[in-house]
Amino acid sequence: MSALPRWLRSGRVVAGLLIVVLVALAAVLAPLVAPNDPQEQHLVATLLPPAWSPGGDAAFPLGTDSLGRCVLSRLIYGARVAMTVAIFAALGAMLLGAVLAHVAGYCGGAVDWTIGRAVDVWMSFPPVILSLILMVGLGVGLGNVILAIVLVDWTRFCRVLRAEVMVTAGRDYVAAARLVGFSHWRIVTREILPATLPLIITLMSLEMGIAVVVEAILSFVGMSVSANQPAWGQMIADARLSIYDTPWNLVFPILAIFVTVLGFNLLGDGLRRTLDVRLSEGR
Amino acid sequence: MNGTVLRQLGRRLIVALPILAIVSALLFAVLRLLPVDPAAMSLPPTATVAEVEAKRAEMGLDRPLPQQYLIWLRNVAAGDFGTSIHFRRAVAGLIAETLPATIELAGLAMLIAAALGIAGGLYLFHVRGTAKEPLADLGSIVLLSIPEFLWGLFFILLFGVAVPLLPFTGRLAAGFQRPVHTGFLLIDTLIDGRLDMFRDALAHMALPALALGIAFSPAIMRVLRSSLIDVYHEEYIGQARLRGLSERRILVRHALKNAILPTLSLMGVQFGFLFGGTLLVEVIYSYPGLGNLMVDAVRNADLPIIQAVGLTYCVVVLLINTMVDTLYLVLDPRLRPR
Repeated sequence: MSALPRWLRSGRVVAGLLIVVLVALAAVLAPLVAPNDPQEQHLVATLLPPAWSPGGDAAFPLGTDSLGRCVLSRLIYGARVAMTVAIFAALGAMLLGAVLAHVAGYCGGAVDWTIGRAVDVWMSFPPVILSLILMVGLGVGLGNVILAIVLVDWTRFCRVLRAEVMVTAGRDYVAAARLVGFSHWRIVTREILPATLPLIITLMSLEMGIAVVVEAILSFVGMSVSANQPAWGQMIADARLSIYDTPWNLVFPILAIFVTVLGFNLLGDGLRRTLDVRLSEGR
Repeated sequence: MNGTVLRQLGRRLIVALPILAIVSALLFAVLRLLPVDPAAMSLPPTATVAEVEAKRAEMGLDRPLPQQYLIWLRNVAAGDFGTSIHFRRAVAGLIAETLPATIELAGLAMLIAAALGIAGGLYLFHVRGTAKEPLADLGSIVLLSIPEFLWGLFFILLFGVAVPLLPFTGRLAAGFQRPVHTGFLLIDTLIDGRLDMFRDALAHMALPALALGIAFSPAIMRVLRSSLIDVYHEEYIGQARLRGLSERRILVRHALKNAILPTLSLMGVQFGFLFGGTLLVEVIYSYPGLGNLMVDAVRNADLPIIQAVGLTYCVVVLLINTMVDTLYLVLDPRLRPR
């Protein structure tokens, strides 16, 4: 008889949480743990290899980039942009998508039709293209990246949740709540939402991973945060230009993105299994 | 039967038209948020205010937004996407040059994704309930966590830099004169009977196509596995066993035929994502397709190109979805109207 809740006993959830918490800690404590200022340029020490290989400098444990900036420090500070975008973009997309899904699934009829067609229109845009176009319109900046991802990815929540809401709304206990004369607001928030919440939590976790990837793509092409804020995608773009000299510089941000996304996906998959949700497959 | 399918295809295409109209209006509206003035950008910096105003009038920028949209729509319907501010060329020509390259890449990538996805799905199904299952399952999550551009960079490091096996920039080696018939390089080189050039073109596409294919295969694997598990709960599988058919025959002739349907519909959705995923892979491999054109345009705030390329992506995705829907109908007789 363990006192732990069931979802905390899943290996995946624990492993996923561990990774996510570690990355989040790096982001929060960046000024304390980063060995150097991530923006400071050491023009006499550009493209240094990691400290353990010949020619490395112990002051720059993972080497320096083309402007002589410390790779490790930029990696740690880059976690700030990644985690901020992951949390707020996923939260925003969830709120927008979940509200529309509940409205569509509960009301049905013309409202459902309209929201369904809006999802169709959105789905005809490849997500990367739509977010890039939105960034062109909005201009670079952390807030705009979050806004662009919210405006692109709400459909991921809406599509999956709408079906779940419709199933739940058709259940006997919801019909009973209607007969008792509860208000629509109360039925949706007190009867339907508890049933859809596990799915919402699972989708949130997966969306955080997607947001990290989208931010990296946008910052790779220079359409994310401004250049004075270190981001993993920027580091990749910079390292790609010196791929023969310092392949390591490319490896580290790739690993950072992979590990972070893996953390969110493990968490999401573990929650899906333990919360026993019928989640439609797909990206 | 063929008539029905064609009629369905036509009906679906007509449904796609209003979606396209809304998409183009959205695209237009979003890009007008932009704080840059396309008229001033298309003139030399020495232009006077009067000259800029004249250019604005010429480009129709002084009219109300809905009117500007209708003018643009009318021109697009006539095949005129305007002139690129940066390249000073007709946008339609730029798209005609780059779209075949992207379609070719996406098509090859989709073949790889489907092959890997089906093989992986069968493997995941095969190891269900055995000691290998947790590991295989974890493997599919790890694969799911690596987006296409990370695969792309990884392959460059591995097969381009560490073990230089394959080229990783452009579409063709420098010495070749590119044949121009259809714009599809793999087809054009075959038309000319240049097998050496065909091989070279294929080698240039190998890494980007593999990166995209691997990235989009895990979702296919997982859906095929779960639909196979669903199908095995059906009665006809048990009956096939009672008739003494081999497990292999049951899987291939009975189960796979039905389990492939949901997989196919997912592949349609996946192809839409994959087509968008070409954008960054093209940039990473300096592959001269729509994606590179788009990113160049974004960096130069080249509005006519951004609008036209955005619309092109949507048209392709809508066409693919329509075709997959119709194909579904051909393969699943239960959905056909009687």
